[in-house]
Amino acid sequence: MAAAAATAATKGNGGGGARAGAGEGGGARKKKGPGPLATAYLVIYNVVMTAGWLVIAVGLVRAYLAKGSYHSLYYSIEKPLKFFQTGALLEILHCAVGIVPSSVVLTSFQVMSRVFLIWAVTHSVKEVQSEDSVLLFVIAWTITEIIRYSFYTFSLLNHLPYLIKWARYTLFIVLYPMGVSGELLTIYAALPFVRQAGLYSISLPNKYNFSFDYYAFLILIMISYIPIFPQLYFHMIHQRRKVLSHTEEHKKFE
Amino acid sequence: MRRKERSTSRFAPATFQGLASNMWPVVTILDGTATPPRGGEWRAAPRPHFDWWVAKHLSARPCLARAPPPRCVPQADWPASWRERLVLTQDQPRGAGSKVEILDAKTREKLCFLDKVEPHATIAEIKNLFTKTHPQWYPARQSLRLDPKGKSLKDEDVLQKLPVGTTATLYFRDLGAQISWVTVFLTEYAGPLFIYLLFYFRVPFIYGHKYDFTSSRHTVVHLACICHSFHYVKRLLETLFVHRFSHGTMPLRNIFKNCTYYWGFAAWMAYYINHPLYTPPTYGAQQVKLALAIFVICQLGNFSIHMALRDLRPAGSKTRKIPYPTKNPFTWLFLLVSCPNYTYEVGSWIGFAIMTQCLPVALFSLVGFTQMTIWAKGKHRSYLKEFRDYPPLRMPIIPFLL
Repeated sequence: MAAAAATAATKGNGGGGARAGAGEGGGARKKKGPGPLATAYLVIYNVVMTAGWLVIAVGLVRAYLAKGSYHSLYYSIEKPLKFFQTGALLEILHCAVGIVPSSVVLTSFQVMSRVFLIWAVTHSVKEVQSEDSVLLFVIAWTITEIIRYSFYTFSLLNHLPYLIKWARYTLFIVLYPMGVSGELLTIYAALPFVRQAGLYSISLPNKYNFSFDYYAFLILIMISYIPIFPQLYFHMIHQRRKVLSHTEEHKKFE
Repeated sequence: MRRKERSTSRFAPATFQGLASNMWPVVTILDGTATPPRGGEWRAAPRPHFDWWVAKHLSARPCLARAPPPRCVPQADWPASWRERLVLTQDQPRGAGSKVEILDAKTREKLCFLDKVEPHATIAEIKNLFTKTHPQWYPARQSLRLDPKGKSLKDEDVLQKLPVGTTATLYFRDLGAQISWVTVFLTEYAGPLFIYLLFYFRVPFIYGHKYDFTSSRHTVVHLACICHSFHYVKRLLETLFVHRFSHGTMPLRNIFKNCTYYWGFAAWMAYYINHPLYTPPTYGAQQVKLALAIFVICQLGNFSIHMALRDLRPAGSKTRKIPYPTKNPFTWLFLLVSCPNYTYEVGSWIGFAIMTQCLPVALFSLVGFTQMTIWAKGKHRSYLKEFRDYPPLRMPIIPFLL
C-alpha cells in the first residue's frame, strides 16, 4: 500500500513542470508551476533522493554478492533506508507550501504509512528484521522510488524520456502487489513479539483514563489494506491508460 | 483634405468617418454579438499615425480636446447582429410564455424542453416541472445552472430576471441522493445519547461479566452522564424547535460519515469514563466543580447564541443578516467572534474533558475544534464578502486569535 500510494497519489509531486512542460495530459490546462528557485530546490531534492535510493539498491546488490544469500540483507542498508525514507517527509512540506500541486492529505497518508513501517514496525520489533518479507518490500520500494524520483527530476527539467514514464506507469503492476505482500507479511510476523512485550501499549487504570493496544492497532492496519489497496491499484491502472495512450497519440502526430 | 471613408474592418468596430468634425471614432459597445470580419480575430487597433496627427492638431486647436457629444447611430447603420436582437426582443412581448430547455451539464444531452413557461416562474417551479418528466430526479437532487461549470441557481431566482434569451438553456447536474438536514441531525445526535447510556449502565459484553449492570462509585461518573446526556438532549430539541436551516437537504453519504464520527467517539469516550477501572480527576472535587461551571456556562452560552441566530431570521425565510449582541450577556461574545456558538461548544467540551480527566474526551474536543474552526473561518469569510459594514474586530472563533 505504501509502495503504490507513492506512485498513485503524487503524480504531480515533481512540480508543475510535470504538467505544463512535458506535454502530457494534453497541455490544455496551463498550470503555473513553481518559481525558478523552487524548481531548482525541487530538482536538487529529487536528485538527492534518486541518488539515495540508488545507494540502497547498490548496497543490496553488494551485500547479496558478499553474503551469497538473500537472507538478512536489511542490516546492510538499514541506515540509508531509514534516512532517505524519512526524508520523504519533506514532500508533505512541499505540498503544504504549494510548490508541488499534490494534495497534502494524500501525500501525508502515503509518506506516513511508509515511515510507520520503517520505524514503528521494522525498527521497533528487532526480531522481524531478519525476515525475508522485509527484503520483499525494500526491493519494491527501492525500484519504485528510483523511477519515481528520476521521473520527477526529468519532468521538472522538461526532458522526460519515454522509458522513465513507461517504467513509472507499468512496473507498479508487479511492484505494488510485491510491496504490499512484503508489508503485510512483516506486520504479521511482528504481531507475536508486540503481544509478548506489550510494545507501545498502555492499559488501565491510569491517570488519563486511556488505553491503547498496539497489537489490535496493527491488526486494524492490516485489515485497512483490504479496501485501500484495490482503490489505489486501479487508480494507477486508470492513470496508466490515460497517460500512456495519450503519449501514443502524440507520437502518431509527430 | 479628402474625406477618407476608411472602414477599419481589421479592427474592432469603430467606424472612422472622416476627418471633419467626425474625426473621433464612433464607439460601439461590444456585447459579444458582433463577429469579427472574415473569420479573423479582433486586434487592438494600433494607430500611431492617427495618434500623432491628433496630438499635433490638439496642440494647435485646443477646442478639439473636448470630446464631442455622443451621437446616436441610426438603426439603419447598426451591425446586422444588433438589428436581429432588436427584432427578437420586440417580437416577444413580456408576459408571453418562455421556453426552457434543460441539458445535461456533462454530456450536453437534451434532457427536457419546457414550452410556455411563465416568465415569472421561479427555478423551484421549473425543477418541479422537470421532475414530472424525470421522476427519479426529485427537486432536491437537481442543480440547475446557466453555465455547466458555474454556480447553482437558487430556488427563489425568477426566470425573467436571469440573463437568458427567449429560450433559456439550463444545465442540469445530479447532486445524488439527498437526505434532509433534520433527519441527519436527529440521527447523529440520538446515537451518542443512547450509546453513552449503554456504557453507563454497563450493559453485558462491554466490560467483564462481573461488572454487568453495576454502578460506578465515583460521583463524577454520574455527573458526566448527566452532562453528556443533557448536551445531546439539548441538541435534539434545538434541531426540532430552534434551528432554521438554509438548506433543506444534504448528500446521503453525509449521514454515514457524520454518524460514524459522532457514534464512534461517543462509544470511545463512554467506554473509558464508565470503566470499572476509571480513575477520578487528580484534584478531586475542586477540579470537578470548576469544570462543571465551565460546562454549564458554555451550554447556556451556546443555547443563547442559537436563540439569537433564530431570531435573526423569520420562520420559513432564508435571509442572512449580521448577528449582533442582545440584552443576554452570553451573546456579548458576538462583539469579538463571528461564530460564538462554536466557541461555546469547544468550551463545553473542554470543561467536560477537565471534569472527566479523560484523554479520549480531550482528543474529541481537539477534532471538533479543528472542524469547527474550518466552518467558522468559512462563515466569517462569507460574512465579510456579503456585508461591507461587517465589524472588523471580530475573529472567526477565538477572540483576537483565530
